[in-house]
Amino acid sequence: MALLTEALKQYIGLQSETETACDPVERGAVRRYAQAIMDEDPIYSEACANNARFGGPVAPPLYPTHMFRRAFGSPDPLQLRARDPDFDGLSATSAQGLPELEPIKHLALLNGGSEIEFFRYARRGESVKLQSRYADIVEKETSKGPMLFVTIETEYRNGDGELLMTVRRTLIRR
Amino acid sequence: MAMGGPRYFEDVEVGTALEVLEKGPLTTAHLMRWSAAMENWHKIHYDKPFAIEHDKLPGLLVNGSLKQQFILQLLKDWVGPAGWVWKVSFQFRAMNLAGETLSVWGRVSAKRDGPGYGLADIDLGITNDAGKESTPGKATLALPYRGGAPVPYPFVPPPSVPQRS
Repeated sequence: MALLTEALKQYIGLQSETETACDPVERGAVRRYAQAIMDEDPIYSEACANNARFGGPVAPPLYPTHMFRRAFGSPDPLQLRARDPDFDGLSATSAQGLPELEPIKHLALLNGGSEIEFFRYARRGESVKLQSRYADIVEKETSKGPMLFVTIETEYRNGDGELLMTVRRTLIRR
Repeated sequence: MAMGGPRYFEDVEVGTALEVLEKGPLTTAHLMRWSAAMENWHKIHYDKPFAIEHDKLPGLLVNGSLKQQFILQLLKDWVGPAGWVWKVSFQFRAMNLAGETLSVWGRVSAKRDGPGYGLADIDLGITNDAGKESTPGKATLALPYRGGAPVPYPFVPPPSVPQRS
């Protein structure tokens, strides 16, 4: 257990504060998103028969997970690290509101996959908030050496506290 | 496309293949557009010298976050406007590089009755031009019964569905 130290185990079970996305579900942002994923479903665009039971225009299913962006006036990581040749362009957004795993922050990060449950769409105009926790951290010996599998559970809710979706993400660190 | 009518539980059989959703070829412009839309600036998706020389990758990578969108589109469009995509899981097992065309596939592996709606389990994945699988996964979709009500919204999971192993 070279990687899974006592210091790292302290993070298991750690829960984030509730974080609210800096912008609500906006028509223009949804349009750019729908065009980028090449799914211009009318339910994302205007009130229509197929979104009547959702209460009008909605965002694509995974949209809430991408709403947690850099707030107006917060530090710009691109500018802060513009002269760092090792900066890979990633900012802290991959931790879903959780603090970085300090003991392994030097390790590479791979997206291992997700388990997602959906209950509601995020509707146009709604705000979205999340709360996450480090559900588990395990070490596995693989053909490529030891790796850590970090599981993060995140709940996404609308401004009224109604559950939109839950995500269990597996991040691989090595 | 999503504009079709409802799909009913009675019409679904184990072994039924979902119509394949093809995406691509995914050029660097597609990847840059997605990075910009979600404001994620990970260089391995648009900075080729960084990807190859610094991160020792074979080229620019198609974002896993983009591939999962394609899976959701396949499922959402197939289940139709009166159904619901309840659960989806997938693993990113292999890289896909800029220039590839991806085929998102699904197949019904099991079906069972739920409370006022039916449930279909799906095996799914994403293959590239060479037929290599990169993103194996599973899903559980809720479909209305013919002549029945739409699947409840917000979705109410069945009270005691045995969990998939």
